[in-house]
Amino acid sequence: MSTALQMAPAPNEVTATPLLELRGISKEFPGVKALDDVSFALYPGEVHMLLGENGAGKSSLMKVLCGAYKADAGEFFHKGEKVTITSTADAQKLGIAVIFQEFSLVPYLDIAQNIFLGREPKGRIPGTIDRRKILADAKRLLDMIGFDIDPSVIVNTLGVAQQQMVEIAKAISQNARILVMDEPTAALSDRETELLFALIARLKADGVSIVYISHRMAEVFSLGDRITVLRDGRRIDGVRPADVTPDQLVRMMVGRTVDMTYPRNFADKPGELLLQVKGLTSSSGISDINIEVRRGEIVGLCGLVGSGRSEVARAIFGADPTTSGEIIFDGKPISGEPDVAARRGIALIPESRKSEGLALLRSVGDNLVVSALRKLFPSGLFDPRSGQRTADGLIRQLRIATPSARQTVGLLSGGNQQKVVIGKWLAAGAKLFIFDEPTRGIDVGAKSEIFALIDRLVAEGAAALMISSEQVEICHVCDRAYVMREGRVAGHLARNELTEENIVRLGMHHA
Amino acid sequence: MTDITKDALSPPRSFLSQDAIQLFYRLLAVFLICAALAMLNDSFLSLGNILNVLRQASLTFFIASGLTLVVLTAGLDLSVGANVALSACVAGTVIHTTGSPTLGILTGLACGGIVGLLNGVMVTALRIPSFIATYGMLWVLNGLTYWYMAGETLHGFPAGFRQIGSGYLFGLPIPVYLLLVFLGIGTLFAQRTIWGQEIYAIGANPVAARLSGIPVARRLLLVYAVSGTMAGLASIIFLSRLNSAEADIGESLTLPAIAAVLIGGTSLFGGVGTVFGTFIGALILTLVLNGMNLLSVSANWQPLVTGIIVILAVWLDMKTRRRT
Amino acid sequence: MREAAVVSQPNPFQRIPGVAIVLVALIVLFGAIAPGFLSAANLSNVLVQSTILTMLALPMTLIIMTEGLDLSMGAVLTLTSLCVAIVSLATQSMLLGLCAGIAVGAAFGTINGWLVAILGIPPFVATLGTLGMAQGLSLIVSDGQSVVGIPHTVRDIYSATLLGIPVPIVMALVTYAAFHGLLYHTRFGSYVFALGGNREALRYAGLSPNRLLIAVYAIGGTMAGIAGLLMTARMNSGHPTAGLGLEFDAIAAVAVGGTSFERGNGWLLGTLLGVIAVGVLRNGLNLISMPSSVQVASVGVLVIVALFLDGLRSRA
Repeated sequence: MSTALQMAPAPNEVTATPLLELRGISKEFPGVKALDDVSFALYPGEVHMLLGENGAGKSSLMKVLCGAYKADAGEFFHKGEKVTITSTADAQKLGIAVIFQEFSLVPYLDIAQNIFLGREPKGRIPGTIDRRKILADAKRLLDMIGFDIDPSVIVNTLGVAQQQMVEIAKAISQNARILVMDEPTAALSDRETELLFALIARLKADGVSIVYISHRMAEVFSLGDRITVLRDGRRIDGVRPADVTPDQLVRMMVGRTVDMTYPRNFADKPGELLLQVKGLTSSSGISDINIEVRRGEIVGLCGLVGSGRSEVARAIFGADPTTSGEIIFDGKPISGEPDVAARRGIALIPESRKSEGLALLRSVGDNLVVSALRKLFPSGLFDPRSGQRTADGLIRQLRIATPSARQTVGLLSGGNQQKVVIGKWLAAGAKLFIFDEPTRGIDVGAKSEIFALIDRLVAEGAAALMISSEQVEICHVCDRAYVMREGRVAGHLARNELTEENIVRLGMHHA
Repeated sequence: MTDITKDALSPPRSFLSQDAIQLFYRLLAVFLICAALAMLNDSFLSLGNILNVLRQASLTFFIASGLTLVVLTAGLDLSVGANVALSACVAGTVIHTTGSPTLGILTGLACGGIVGLLNGVMVTALRIPSFIATYGMLWVLNGLTYWYMAGETLHGFPAGFRQIGSGYLFGLPIPVYLLLVFLGIGTLFAQRTIWGQEIYAIGANPVAARLSGIPVARRLLLVYAVSGTMAGLASIIFLSRLNSAEADIGESLTLPAIAAVLIGGTSLFGGVGTVFGTFIGALILTLVLNGMNLLSVSANWQPLVTGIIVILAVWLDMKTRRRT
Repeated sequence: MREAAVVSQPNPFQRIPGVAIVLVALIVLFGAIAPGFLSAANLSNVLVQSTILTMLALPMTLIIMTEGLDLSMGAVLTLTSLCVAIVSLATQSMLLGLCAGIAVGAAFGTINGWLVAILGIPPFVATLGTLGMAQGLSLIVSDGQSVVGIPHTVRDIYSATLLGIPVPIVMALVTYAAFHGLLYHTRFGSYVFALGGNREALRYAGLSPNRLLIAVYAIGGTMAGIAGLLMTARMNSGHPTAGLGLEFDAIAAVAVGGTSFERGNGWLLGTLLGVIAVGVLRNGLNLISMPSSVQVASVGVLVIVALFLDGLRSRA
């Protein structure tokens, strides 16, 4: 998109006091340092781009900014004065508003009622709403942001872009001076994007500051006054768009520190074809996917969050219905529900372990045998003792740290929970393992164990398709990788081409 | 759900001992109620009364045992009472017209099973929430039964058939034997078959169950069909016990069945509970109602007490779950 | 990314066909096969008989909009009707009877709301429990007998007319106007939409969803109290099973009327038409000598079909 917008010149940051300044912000989660000594200044009337790979710390920074997370260390300054932000109410008082991707609107109320929800002008009869005033006030606000629409339209009938406009109007009505937008154009058409950009220009002119998270290079350059690049939770640099090229930005974003080497014995020659996906399309937003996986291989599936990686995994496993295309597994076509795929030997280790991978209230043993019931007990009669033996064997084999197979699985650590999810498919004798973010929320030691496990699996003739946002992991572990962008396979990288830079380049929007 | 992991540092507790504690509380409750009733009323401990309690509890248990499986999958079957009524009336008619109790029993079971299967279809294929689908079914069945019976009452069944509900064997009522048999079958099915295990898995986390390769829809169909068939079985016992069938016999059966399941420790949110627990639940409920009866409290109080018990049971379940 | 074209959902008035088609079809059907269906006397009868249901279905609409359900409404109506009968019999005052009915109804509604909002018990189980409680109390206060000999002031309400319009219809119309004003023109009404549509938005605006939810259920109980007066007047007595199952007709009317069980999409006019549709169905089946059992079964089928269609719509 090359919308040449007339942007107001960026304010001179030498003379102006920052509207909001963050100094030395750190935020740690168990096992992960999400933000590490990040400083960040936002000047009045600027669009400040926040750039970084998946997991670089953009979302965490945003959540600290709007009070959803409390920083472990660091200071906030509002117009030069020291302030604290420990709750969303604090942030609201300072005029900070987040335009969420999932909207905070009530679908069957009209625009005006949504904007003033909880702050409706009172009518003459107690309890009623002054209909004329609420519409007039809303109209004035909508005019201000240049959104030409009747405020009595029901929000549910609006498109995504228009709902975003209403969100913005709602924020403005609460005197927001700082808007935080997280990939606001992700779901917009080109025309809607132009409307949004025009609105941003108008807000800027009014002195509203905008923190803007984007993965689209074109936006970064056409819209941004300044760019802050994050990597590994650290601030790498702050630059002006005029001073850098897209390539330089990509280089700043990649190059994550490798906290360890991952064990991997690459096979000399890939084995026979195990999975062949031809022109797979599904209503979940992926189209024309062509992928092959051979025995003995770990194949990476990368791309930005939301590029359709998980959807491909789910479609192969039968969890999402496909509209066209063909999946051939082990020489025979496959279609239907997950139970069919599971019986044929496909395993899915889903991204959200807790909500999709495990029955948290049940025991480790129950979870370990759940997929293998038919294999272990072909007669249909379940023998708890034999199930227990199988579970104990897996606990030993995978070195799952649990007092016993009877322990509630929800009480284990993330790494051990992940081992349980993998273990249930080992018991089921799966041949193809599809991993969706297998190392998310897992500490370093467990990560390396899990990779060793995957390596052993493929060495024994299984195959793995691995989705990961950690490009380092993909580069170290995978034989080759597919890169996805906007629901399609954007490219394929062989072992010798597999670098972080190439992955980011293929995965980013350059158009 | 996610709160559980926050607790990761708390001392590990074995799930089995939790279950054991819960069961202990319930057995204690049974004992205390019995002790209290024995003190308050001399006739409570008479053999006749005890057998009466067991027979009464067995009726509730038959309906509640199938319902337990439904609740284990985090569903609900509000149509069980109406199902009993329809099945009883259909079975009664068949016995009257053909004179064959066997045929009548089979028809009653089939009728119950088919209704259950229809419930399952609404829940799985039409994806209507179970409580509302079965609530609609309740009224459809009610209507059908009243229309079918047109105000008539079926009377007088063969003596052999009546033995099922009112006969004795070695001094114990036959329904008590049936209760033991189905308690065994139900427990075996839930604990010792892979379908039982899969049902627990579905109730604990339906999404994870599906992604673990469990054919969720087929298992749900099975569960609702079993629940319906058990209602059919209860209708047979009813028929032979009362020696008559009327359209309104099901109206007061659903709430006690749900109460028995919930008192028995089966969680409304699925995945937790046992058929044996439901038996204890049915026993507790029957003891309470029997006690009220012995203390000459009018039967009019029964729905009120049952309603309060249902709410208390759910509330207790939610409280214990929140603690874990 | 998918092209985010303006997806236009049908606005409330484009929904009229749904219910209206059902209604017109039923009227045409029974006009053709049921003798005397189209007579003025019968049509007026249908409307008068729909008044009690209207008073239950309108608050039920609000409750369903909050993704809730009130299975106790019929049993609570039975109880309030008995209270009206007993108190007016004892005091010979219709007004005191009405007050007693309203107080009992409101108490039950508040208990329902408290169980759902504060204890977090799923609505269908919570109200199933209170259904049992209300039913039990009805049996207890009446000792299972009808309460007869109530003052004629109560009975007269059902047959009296105001400006030529039967009083029950006037009451139903006033109720409709009140609910219309409440839902579409007050702050509370907006919050009811938000309770089902986006509870987070309420919290974000500094409002307490729990208190609002209790209020919604309390309104349902209160309306059951007012409807209790009409019920007693209509039967000229209080009867311990008079209103049992009426909540099902109310749910049917709401579902047929196009109120969605998800996302807080409610439509009061649709509910009103739904009430009339249920009334026409029952009356028509009655005229062609179908027993009330068939009426119940057909309403059951109507609900399941309506819910299935609602499910299709929300998935589309």
